[in-house]
Amino acid sequence: MESSAEAGFDYRAQSADVRARFDRLKAREVILETRELGKIFRSAQGEVTALRGVDLQVRRREFLCVIGPSGCGKSTLIRMLAGLEPHTSGQVLLDGKPVSGPGRDRGMVFQGYTLFPWLTVKRNVMFGPMMTMGDTAAESLAGTWLDLVGMGKFADAYPHQLSGGMKQRVAIARALINQPRILLMDEPFGALDAQTRTRMQTHLLDIWRNVDITVVFITHDLDEAIFLADRILVLKAHPGEVQELLEVPVPRPRDLGQLTTPEFLATRRRLDTLIHQPGPPAADADEEAIRPQVIRFTNVADNVE
Amino acid sequence: MTLLSRWFGVRVPLTSSERLVLGIGAFALPLLFWSIVSYVPYVWHPMVRISDPGGVDYFQPDMLVDRDVFATETGNMRQQNLALPAGIPANPVYLPAPHEVLRAFYTAFTTKPQQRDAPWLHESLLHSIRIIFWGFLISSLIGVPLGILCGTYNVIGRLNEPFIEFFRYLPAPAFGALAVAILGIYDGPKIAIIVIGTLFQQVLIIANTTRKLDFALVEAAMTLGTKRLRLLTHVVVPGTLPDLYRDQRILLGWAWTYLIVAELIGTSSGITWFITQQARYQHFDNVYAAIMMIGFIGLGTDLVLARLGRAFFPWDRPGR
Repeated sequence: MESSAEAGFDYRAQSADVRARFDRLKAREVILETRELGKIFRSAQGEVTALRGVDLQVRRREFLCVIGPSGCGKSTLIRMLAGLEPHTSGQVLLDGKPVSGPGRDRGMVFQGYTLFPWLTVKRNVMFGPMMTMGDTAAESLAGTWLDLVGMGKFADAYPHQLSGGMKQRVAIARALINQPRILLMDEPFGALDAQTRTRMQTHLLDIWRNVDITVVFITHDLDEAIFLADRILVLKAHPGEVQELLEVPVPRPRDLGQLTTPEFLATRRRLDTLIHQPGPPAADADEEAIRPQVIRFTNVADNVE
Repeated sequence: MTLLSRWFGVRVPLTSSERLVLGIGAFALPLLFWSIVSYVPYVWHPMVRISDPGGVDYFQPDMLVDRDVFATETGNMRQQNLALPAGIPANPVYLPAPHEVLRAFYTAFTTKPQQRDAPWLHESLLHSIRIIFWGFLISSLIGVPLGILCGTYNVIGRLNEPFIEFFRYLPAPAFGALAVAILGIYDGPKIAIIVIGTLFQQVLIIANTTRKLDFALVEAAMTLGTKRLRLLTHVVVPGTLPDLYRDQRILLGWAWTYLIVAELIGTSSGITWFITQQARYQHFDNVYAAIMMIGFIGLGTDLVLARLGRAFFPWDRPGR
C-alpha cells in the first residue's frame, strides 16, 4: 500500500464514471455464486488443500479475472465452476441453483485448443445446438456466430488448418452459441504469441460489449487481467484462498493506450505486491529448493559485458 | 551440408524422388542378394549338379550331391582309374533361383495343376482370403465395439481386460482340436482360430487407442451440453476413428499370420494345402511363389486401405 502512495495514485480511487459503473454493476442480479467453496485432493501421500473458503459473487455482464501465483488453484476453481471437477466443500450456485456436473449453461474456453479435429469450423460451432435443434437451424445460427468472431470465411476449414488465435475465436463462438449464463475462460490466450494475444483481448472485449454475457477469466498475465476485468480476484497459494477482490479503476471502453495511465499503473503495482509478497516458508517448497549457482563461464579475456 | 550428413541427420525429411528410389531399393536389395547367391558361381553353391555320372554307380544326371561327396567320389574314381564324374556347382533344391520362382508364378496361373482335383493357385488363394475375411470380420464385430467400450467406460474395461489379458497369452493353435470337435473339419475351425488369434489382442489394442483420445475434447463436449451416450457417439468414436482404422490395418496383418496354422486344422485347405503339397513334391519354386503371393496380397491390401484412409479422414494429418 505504501508503494501506491509513493506513486501518488491509490488503486482504490475511482473516478465518478467508474464508481457509477460499479454501482450499476452491483445492482444487477447475481449469476454465479460460490459459498465456502473448497477442494481437497486426497492422494496416497495424504491430503492437499487446493482451495478453501472461496466466497464469490459474479453479477450479470460482469467481467471477472482470476489471478494468482502458480499452484494457487485458479484452474481448479474454474474447473469446479464448470462442473468438470467435483468440489469437496461448499457450494457453487448458478442463478441460485446448486451446480453438479458440467452443463450448457456454463460455456468454457480452454487453454489447449479443444476444437474437434474431425469437424469443420462450422460443424464445431454447430456442435452445441445440434444436440437440441435441427441441422438447418443450427447451421444458420452457426453462420451468425462465426461472422461475429470474424471466422465466416473459414467455415469449411478444418481446425488443423487454423492458427492458434483463429482456433480460440472458433472456440469462443462454439461456447457462446449455446447462450450460456456465464462464459468460463481458462487462460485462453496463454499459448498465443504477444501480438495475437493483444488482438484477441481487444476482440474479446468487443464481443463482451455486444453480447449479454458474464465472463470469468483465468490468467497469469497481470496486464491482461487489468485490461479486461471489472474486478480481479487475487488468490494466494498453499493453501489456495482468496487474498483480495479488487475493483479495477481503469475506465471503459478500454484501449491499449490506457496501459500507461496512472489508474492502470497503480493497479498493476498493487497486483505485483499481492502476487510477489513473500509467502510462508513452506510455500512453493519445490521451486524454492532450486538454487541456480551462477558462475562465469566466459573466457577471461572476453570483454563483452 | 554434405549428402552424407543430411542422410544421417535424425528424422531429416526425404525428397519425393529419394523416397521413390529408396522404396524401390527396399525390394531391389533382397532381390539382388538372392540373385547373387543364385547366379554367381562359387558364392555359396554347396551342391554339385551331376552332368556326367562317370564311373560312380549311384550318380545320375541332374542329381544333386554335396560338394564333399562329389570330391570324395572324384578321388575314388581317380584311384580306380575309372571315368571321372562331371558336374556344375548348384544350390540346394530348397533355394530356387529368382527366374524359376518367376516362372512358377506364371505357370501356376496358366497351366493346369499336375495332380488331378488339385485346386489352382488362385482357387487356393481365394479360399484363404475367404477364411481371413470371415475370421477378421467376426473378430472385428466383437472386438472393435468391446474395445471402444473398455476404453471409454472404466467399469467395462476393468471387468473385461484382466481376463482378456490372460486369454491372449493362450496360443490360438492350441484350440485347434477343440475347434474341430465343436465346429467340424471344414472352414469353421479355421475361422475360429483366426478369431481367437486376433480378437483378444484387438480388444486390448482398440481399448488403449480409445484411451489416448485427448480427454479435454470430452470435457469440451460436456461443457457444450453433451451427455452420456452422445459423448460416446459424437466425441469418442469420431475422435478415435482414424487411429482405430490404423489399428485395424495392423491387426489384419496379424490375422494373416494365423492363417497358415488355421488352415492346417481339420482338412488342410487353401494356400497352406497348396504349399504343403508342392513342398511334398519338392516343387520349391511353387512354394516360394505361393508364399510371396501372400506377401503381395497383404502389402497390396494395406496400400489400398492406407489410400482409402486418407480419403475417409481428411482432417487426420500424419504428423499430428
